[in-house]
Parts: sequence; structure tokens; C-alpha cells
Amino acid sequence: MSHFTKTFSRIFLILMAVVLLPAPLLAMEPAEIIKKSQAAFYEAGQDFQARVKMTLTTREGQQRLREFTMLRKNDMAGEQKYFIYFHSPGDVAGTTFMVYKYPNRDSDRWLFIPAINLVNRIAARDSRSSFVGSDFTYEDVSGRPLEADTHKLIKEEAVNGRLAYVVESVPKSAAEYTRKLAWIDQVTFLPLKEEYYDIQGVLYKVFTAGEVKEIQSLSTIMKRTMENVKSGHKTDVVFERVQYNVGIGDDLFSERYLRRPPEKWIK
Amino acid sequence: MNSSVRKVPWLTRFSVERPRLVMTLILAVTLLFLTQIPRAKTDTDPKNMLPETSPVRVYNDVVEREFSLHKDVIVLGIVNDDGIFNQETLGRISRITDEIFKIPGVVVRDVTSLTAVDNVLAEGGQLAVRPAVSEIPRTPGAMEELRRSLLTNPLLVNRLLSGDGTTTAIYVPLEPAANARLIADRIKTILPKEAGRERYYLAGDPVARDTFGIQMFYQMALFSPIAGMVMFVVLWWMFRNLTLVFAVMGVAMVSIVWSMGLMIGVGLPVHIMSSMIPVFLMAIATDSIHIFNEFYFRFREAPDKKQAILDTIHAVGRPVRYTALATAAGFAVLALMHIIPVKIFGLFVAFGTVVIRLMSFSLIPAVLMSIKDERIRAVSLKEDEIAHWTSRWLSGLARTGLSHSRLLAGGGLALLAIAVLGISRTHVNNNLVDWFKPHSEIRVADQIMNEKLGGTSLAYLAGVSSVPDFWKRPEALRYLEGLQKDLEGLAVVGKTFSVADYVKRINRVLHQDTPAYDRIPDSQAEIAQYLFLFGMAAKPSDLDNVVDYPFEKVNLSVQLKTWDARAMRDVIARVRTYTAGHSLPGVEFKPAGIAYFNLVWNDEVLSDMLRGFLLAMVLVFTVLAFNFRSLRWALVACTPLLFTIAMIYGVIGYIGKDFDMPISVLSTLSLGMAVDFAIHFVGRFQQRYQEEGDLEKAILWTAARPGKGIMRNAALFAVAFSVMAFAPLTPYITVGLFIVSMMLLSAAVTLVGLPALIVLFQRGLKLSSIKEKMP
Repeated sequence: MSHFTKTFSRIFLILMAVVLLPAPLLAMEPAEIIKKSQAAFYEAGQDFQARVKMTLTTREGQQRLREFTMLRKNDMAGEQKYFIYFHSPGDVAGTTFMVYKYPNRDSDRWLFIPAINLVNRIAARDSRSSFVGSDFTYEDVSGRPLEADTHKLIKEEAVNGRLAYVVESVPKSAAEYTRKLAWIDQVTFLPLKEEYYDIQGVLYKVFTAGEVKEIQSLSTIMKRTMENVKSGHKTDVVFERVQYNVGIGDDLFSERYLRRPPEKWIK
Repeated sequence: MNSSVRKVPWLTRFSVERPRLVMTLILAVTLLFLTQIPRAKTDTDPKNMLPETSPVRVYNDVVEREFSLHKDVIVLGIVNDDGIFNQETLGRISRITDEIFKIPGVVVRDVTSLTAVDNVLAEGGQLAVRPAVSEIPRTPGAMEELRRSLLTNPLLVNRLLSGDGTTTAIYVPLEPAANARLIADRIKTILPKEAGRERYYLAGDPVARDTFGIQMFYQMALFSPIAGMVMFVVLWWMFRNLTLVFAVMGVAMVSIVWSMGLMIGVGLPVHIMSSMIPVFLMAIATDSIHIFNEFYFRFREAPDKKQAILDTIHAVGRPVRYTALATAAGFAVLALMHIIPVKIFGLFVAFGTVVIRLMSFSLIPAVLMSIKDERIRAVSLKEDEIAHWTSRWLSGLARTGLSHSRLLAGGGLALLAIAVLGISRTHVNNNLVDWFKPHSEIRVADQIMNEKLGGTSLAYLAGVSSVPDFWKRPEALRYLEGLQKDLEGLAVVGKTFSVADYVKRINRVLHQDTPAYDRIPDSQAEIAQYLFLFGMAAKPSDLDNVVDYPFEKVNLSVQLKTWDARAMRDVIARVRTYTAGHSLPGVEFKPAGIAYFNLVWNDEVLSDMLRGFLLAMVLVFTVLAFNFRSLRWALVACTPLLFTIAMIYGVIGYIGKDFDMPISVLSTLSLGMAVDFAIHFVGRFQQRYQEEGDLEKAILWTAARPGKGIMRNAALFAVAFSVMAFAPLTPYITVGLFIVSMMLLSAAVTLVGLPALIVLFQRGLKLSSIKEKMP
């Protein structure tokens, strides 16, 4: 074999590989996909406001309804602030909840209990614990550090006619799950579906995105469901009156407003 | 052929003519039933004593669903006598918990241990909800602080932690379809890796059930055959002929294989009750001894074998038929009861009894035909009611009965009075854990856990209202708190737990851990917001286990320190008294949980058995009356049996043994079996008296000849059943001892008491008219 043919066949092989491999696999690292997905899902806009209806349903069909206004503001360096005002159930109306979320340490949480007019700091179990008794954890609501998991692109697959990356995430240290599969929309980067596997390797939780709407040209999941397939418990979440970039001031996220939130933000 | 031959059943005549064909046919049918045995499935769940549709099971399911409770929970107790608050023990608890998470079939989200239970505490001015032990303290100071904090937390003490800090428990709930044995075995493989100063105890309903299942198989596969072997040896010693011994054993085996084969064949599982069928059939099969007993005497008198066989069947045919009828009736009565395993047991023992009777008239004559004449002759020469010492001794017994009839009757009446007093002291109770032997792993584990923690037997009291948010009202929770306090006044109650405990705890923690706030707040909004807060921080099942979604129903759980059924009876009585004295309109407290189930089940079995006993008594009496064509004779024949039963229950009353499930089952079973002796005695006596005409001589002959059969039967019974005294489970031991004493006692009373009764009541019994009645 001559020097020329050797070189030629090498080049040919490289070319073939480039042509034959699916373009997106080459184009995007799995961690990159997750990062973009988190940005689209948890960090869209400068700030965010919505009226949220959360329905908890037991296997037996018993239901609990929680209705709240949720405010979110993105800060410097990946920090986020959340403000939640509960409208129902009636006997907890006026309860407010505030979270300062930091990228690399535990969040701070405060709760205002109107019946005893007390603001209390809460050290919750950890970010894996349930968010207001729902099937969503705090992590599911506000995101999980990108570096906490090892991400791997498994395949590409269509979900309800939308092409998605299927990314597997395996935690580096003990977490709520031992493996997560996420179907991430190749256009909007919103998760369309997620499957969570527990320590026994068994599927226990499934996230499904429902209706997606363009709001101020930001794709937003308006309806979502988290179902614990093992316990049969299910949480449906509906977003209403979603608005981005409404200009929430930093002063809102204070003890003073926790006790007496301004009418215009919580209605 | 003489006239007696024509009265012998057709089956026997055929068997004597074609012994080989008969034996082959029986063998073929037996093999057919035998093919079903390997398909056997066992059912060791005591819950299945009651059908799934029974109200108590249905309501238990409702409570479990409404409060997200798990049916099966394995409990691992961990004890370190030096205290568990050291890095090593806490490390082990944490590692074991993590390993348990990995076992398939374990409900990961609801495993409860010090490292996986939500604890509500005040910490540096904030409210924290996190595992009781979230990280293991590194300094002695921090360790002491953790110890103090956990031991003063009423949510944990007696549930997860003993008051002295030496014991903790890991509660492992199982998925409904999980195999409890496999999971328990996996947990056992974790423990050796964590061997140290700690002692581990595995307990809980599923573990007990599986251990029970294994030991039940031991019982069937080991103790039934041993009892068979012992019978074999005793039979050989009595008759000195192997073929004969094989015949008796063969009858037993055939009936066991046919009835177990049929039962398994129709798809019924082997339950604790039906696992005793083989032993019972073996015992009932010993009735065929009367045939051999008589045959030996006959063969000695008239050495034509075929003739001797036919004569024997002619002589004992009627008593054999009626004893089988009485026994079958006594068991078949159980088919009318409510408890399904009891029904099945009764039906298949009755079926086996019918098979035994069939064999008595076919297999036994066929086998006797195939024995070489000289073989039997040598042994039968010894069978002489006058010469042999046993026969002389037996007629001596009867003579005592005859000559001291009044004294015996008086003594009997006195004993009866004493026995009745004993019976009046009977405790009705049942304790499933006591079915295991005192030093068994299960009993020891249960005892330790009950000593250290709140108790292993769990009851639920569902407080049911129909008003949404009812259980957020201060007065409702205060009522609940009061009821809990009242129940905890009972010695058997180790701990109670309800939503009120969470509310009090949060109230205190939100007020800088001030003890004065360890109470129910005054406003509904406050309670609602506390629980909302708790629901925001803890795992969902914490709240779901104690209150339903609309807050209409609460679940008050009560841990009992004993599995005694009567402990639950006390709890229910206490609730009734409390609710009568304190009213909470619109609320009803309904019991549920395994402790309540055990009570209901216990009561149902007992009342079923009492009904069965009375019904069996009426039936057996009817069979006797029909057999003797006389009510008075039936009464006389019943007396030894009733006397024996009174004696045994009298003793049980005096020694303070609980009148429990096995004992109550036995009472019914014993009737049909113990009456056999009297049927043989009275039947043969009547025959003899007819031929003889002399009362005294006829009685002495009956005692010496059929009496020997009775004695042989009783001895065989006693020896075979005494093997059960070594069984691994106490119900089997009870059954063994009970039957041994019943058989020996009723044989003795029959041999001594019946002669006395016959002499005393000879006028009333119209002895003179017997000749005319029975041609």
C-alpha cells in the first residue's frame, strides 16, 4: 500500500464517521443539553409570576387542592429567590414561603405562619424532600446542580411528535434517585418526560409535561404531572396568568413583605 | 358357609375371594391421589382463617388504604446494653438502613429508622424537619446532645427508641406482592457484617408467619412420619406380624393419601388446620385394631382362616360401622361452621374416616387372607381372654367396677363437681406469638421488643366524623389527646400515637422548645397552619398515616405489649367507657389493625367451636341412640366421654392454661373419637349378653376381649400422639397432650365406669328386653 492510499483511506474513514454520525450527537455534549434545559425550565426570563393550582390525588382518589401565587427572580451568579403566597386551603390562606436558592450550598427557607404571626426559618430535610406535600421535591421545583450528576446522551426519540434528546443522569453521591432519564425537546429544551429510578433500580416517579405555551416568546409548560407509580399518588400542576419580566424588586424578598405581601404581586 | 356369612357385607366377601385384585385396585387409586400431593401449596397467613369478605378484613383494608398504611412490616430490633449513642452503633444503624433500602420488595419511601424518620426539632432558632440521626456526631459533647434531644422527644421514645437509650428498631414495610421470607433472609445476611456489641432481633407478623409455615412443614414431614413409626413399633409388639402391622399402617396411609390428595387436587391450600389431617387420620385408623383383636381370638377358636375373617367382620362390623359414623359425623359437623380452614379440615377428616371404614371391610380382609396360616396361629395361641395377663387384668378392672359401683358413681360425681368449678375459671384468650416455644427466636425477639419499646402488636382506632376539617378543631384534638392518655393508663398499652402528637410537637418547637407549649393550640387556624407546615417539610406518609385528606378521619394507633387477644378486648372496653363518659358528637371510634383482627378471629373460632361442639354432641348422641335403638343406652355410652372432657377442661381451668384456639378446636374433634370405646364396649356387651344371659359374665367377657382391643387402641393412640409433645409449635404439643390424656382417660372410664353404670342402672336399661329387641 502506498503512502498516498494510506493517507487517503484515513481521511476517508474520518469523513465517513463525521457524515454517518447523527449531527446533534456531535454538536452537543449531554451536560450542555441539561444546562440549556435547566435554563429554559427553571431560569426563563429575568423574573416570573404565575398563579399555580396544585392538585394532590391519592391512589384512592382523595384530593387536596393548593392554590398559590409564585414569584421568582433570577439574581447574580445563578442565585434565585422564590416567593410563594398561599390562597387555599382556606385555613392556611396568607401563609407565605420564601426561598433563597444558591448554586452550591443549601437554600435558606422562611415561612410566615399568620395564625401566630411568626416568621420561622425552616431547615428542611434536604432538597430531596417533598415540596408542600406534593410528589415534586424542592429539587424538582427549582433545579439541581448540573455537576451533581454524570450525564449521558442515550438516544434521540420523538415524544408526541416532538424530537427529543434522551439524557441519562446518574448522581455522583446519594440522591433521591439513582438514575433519571429525561426526554428533552430539541427545539425548546423543555423536558417532555422524565423517569426516576430508585435505589432498587425500579421506576418510581414519572414527570409528564402537558400543554406548552409561548409566553412573551418564552416556551412555558402550563400543565405538568408528577406521578409516583409505586404509591399511586399523583400531583397535577396548572400554571395560570404566567408573566415574565414583570420587574419584581429585590425588596419583596424580605421578612417585612413575608408578613404583609404587596397586593399587586399576589393577586 | 353358616348364616353369619350372609350378613357380612358384599364388599368383604368379595375381598376375601379376590384379595389380590382388591389390593391392586386400592393401590392404583392411591397412586392416582398420590400424583396430586406434589402440587401442594401452603397458606400460613392466620388472616385467612376468615374470608377476605369478612367485615373485619374489609374494614382493615379500608383503614390501611385511607391512611396509606402497609399490611406487612418486618421489625428489626437493635439492642446495645451500653446504649446505642456511640459512633459504632449509630454507624451500624445507618449502614443497615441503607442496605435495607436496596432489598427489592421493600417500600423504600416508608422505611423507618433513626436515620430515616422525620424528626421535628428546634435548632438554632429555626424549625428543622430531618432524620432523627442525620449525621453521626464526632465529639462526645455532640453525642450527648443528640442523646438528650432524642430521648426527650415523645415522637420517638417507645416507638423508635427505648427510654433507656439501649434499643432502637428499624421498621421495614413490604410491597403487597413481596416475599417476606426472602426479604427477612436478605436482612439476616446484612447482620453478620455488622457484628459487634449489638444484638439483633427480627420480628413482625410476616416473619412469624413464615417461621410458622416452615415449622408446619416440619410437623407434617417429620412428626407425622415419626408418629407413624412409633405406631408401627407398638403394633408389631402387640401383634408380632409384619403383614398385619402393614395392614393397619396401610389403612392409615391410604386414607391420608386419598383425603390429602383430594384436598390438594381440588386446589385447596394446606393450612395450619389441614396440616393436622394426617395425624388425625392415623389416629382414627387405629380403630381397625378391633378387627385384628377379634380375628386373633376367632382364629384361635376356629382355625379356618376365611371363616374366621367373615366371623370377625360379622361380630365387629356393627361397632366398626357406628364408630366410623360417629367419628365422621363429629368431624363433618365442622363443615357447618363459619371458619373456612375449619370447614375444610372437618370435611376431609370425615372423608378420610369414610375411607378408613371402606378399608376395614375390604383391604383388611384381603390382607388377612394373604397372611400364611401358620404365622398367625403361633401368635394367636396367646390370645386367650382367661389365660393372658392383660385380659385377666382387664376383667379385674371391670370386676372392681361391678362390685364398687356406688362408690365409683359417688366418686365420679364428686370429681365432676370439682371439674365444673375448674371449668368456671377458664380464661378465654389466644396469643399467636405463644404458638412458638418460649425460647424460639420469634418469642425472644417479641419479648425483648415489648420490654424495651411500646409493643409489637398494633391496633388502630379510626376516629370517624363526616365533617371536613373536623380534626383541625382544637376540641377534637384535645379529645383525642384525652383518649390517648386514658388508654395509656392500661398496663398492656405501651404507646399511642396520633395527629395530636404532631400538633403538640410543632407548637412546642415553634415556640423555642418551651415545654409549656407542648399542648393543643386554641385556634383551628393555628392547628391547620402547623399541620400545613409539617406537610411542607416532612415526608407525605407521616401525615397520611394519621389523618385522611379531608381531615374527616384520624387514625389513633395503639401499640400493645402483648399479643393476647384479651388485651384488645380491654382496649375496646376502655374506649367504650371513655366515649360514654366524654362525648364528642358525630364521631365514632372504630377498631382495626392486626391486634383487633386477632381478637375477632379468636372470638369467631371460639364461638364456632362451641356451636360445633354442641352440634357434634347432638349428632354423636343420635348415632348412639340409633345404634343401640335406645336413648338410655346412648346416655350410658356418652357418660365416659362427657366425664373425660369435663375432667380435662377442669384441669385446664385449674392450671390456668388459656382456653385458646387449639384447645377449642380439640373439644369438637375429641367427641367423635373418644366415643368409639363406648360404642365397642356397649355393642359387644349387648351381643354377648344376648348369647350368655348372665350380666356379670357378659361384662367380664366384654372387658377381657373387646376390652383388650380398647386398651390396645388407647395405648396406640397415646404412644403415637405423645410424639407430638416434641413438636416445634405449641398448638401441636397441646393437641398431642390433650389427645393422649383424653384417650387414656376415656378408655379407663369406659373399662371401669361402664360396668358400674350398667350394674347401677340395669333396670332402667331394660336388659331383659334386649334379647327380644335384637334377634
